[in-house]
Amino acid sequence: MDRKASALWNGDLKTGKGTISTQSKTLNNAQYSFHSRFEEGTGTNPEELIAAAHAGCFTMAFANELSKAGHTATSVATDATVTLEMLPTGPTVTKIHLVNKSEVPGIDKAKFDEVAAGAKANCPISRLLAAAEITLDATLL
Amino acid sequence: MERSASAIWHGDLKKGTGALTTQSHVLNDTPYSFHTRFEDGAGSNPEELIAAAHAGCFTMALSSQLTSAEHPPSTIETTATVTMETTDDGPTITKIHLSTHATIPGIEKSTFDELAKKAKDGCPVSRLLKSAEITLDATLT
Repeated sequence: MDRKASALWNGDLKTGKGTISTQSKTLNNAQYSFHSRFEEGTGTNPEELIAAAHAGCFTMAFANELSKAGHTATSVATDATVTLEMLPTGPTVTKIHLVNKSEVPGIDKAKFDEVAAGAKANCPISRLLAAAEITLDATLL
Repeated sequence: MERSASAIWHGDLKKGTGALTTQSHVLNDTPYSFHTRFEDGAGSNPEELIAAAHAGCFTMALSSQLTSAEHPPSTIETTATVTMETTDDGPTITKIHLSTHATIPGIEKSTFDELAKKAKDGCPVSRLLKSAEITLDATLT
């Protein structure tokens, strides 16, 4: 299965500007720039899209693993934070931290933690992003 | 620098539904589901967001390389295609293909190709996604 997105950029790095669009048109000429990426400008940036992909993937994987363990979740909520640091090799994503809060009727904390760790290790985006350190805090509500 | 996004999911994998939100609110309770991810349902999915992040990052990196080489581009347009295959490890992103078309006054094709390769190898998202095979077609117009 193939999924696509495209980016258009006009001009140089610092004064130029770009847009990003996805196949689904969920992003439809979304603005991005040096300012929105490396400073605090308005607009999107690749790192928050990585965070969204990872939060989305982990959350879906965790819900699936909970169902398979016989505990369908009422809700699974995850924040992903991507850390970009300036290293000698250039700007580098060094860490992704997942913070999860879930409502899962009838599961015990030990099983919950085990299923959470499995979803973190095995979700397709975690496996793709293996170059970064990925950490997880999972709270059973 | 930190960038964040969040996901929420209700229910099991196949019948449940989720939503994605990024820090910039480019994604704002954007729906996603099994249907939008593994079938052809309308809505977003983590793989197209990876494609968006990669297209955005590569395009900006190429502008940066061209600017440093004193050939600031007029326009760069890149499509990223993410391929997900079911392997023994489950659904796995095996390949990402970048196809870029650039308009750059006064540059030689060989210089362009060299800088495009540098941007492919060096952009932060390429370095993060190194568990996938990343390929590039670069066209100078």
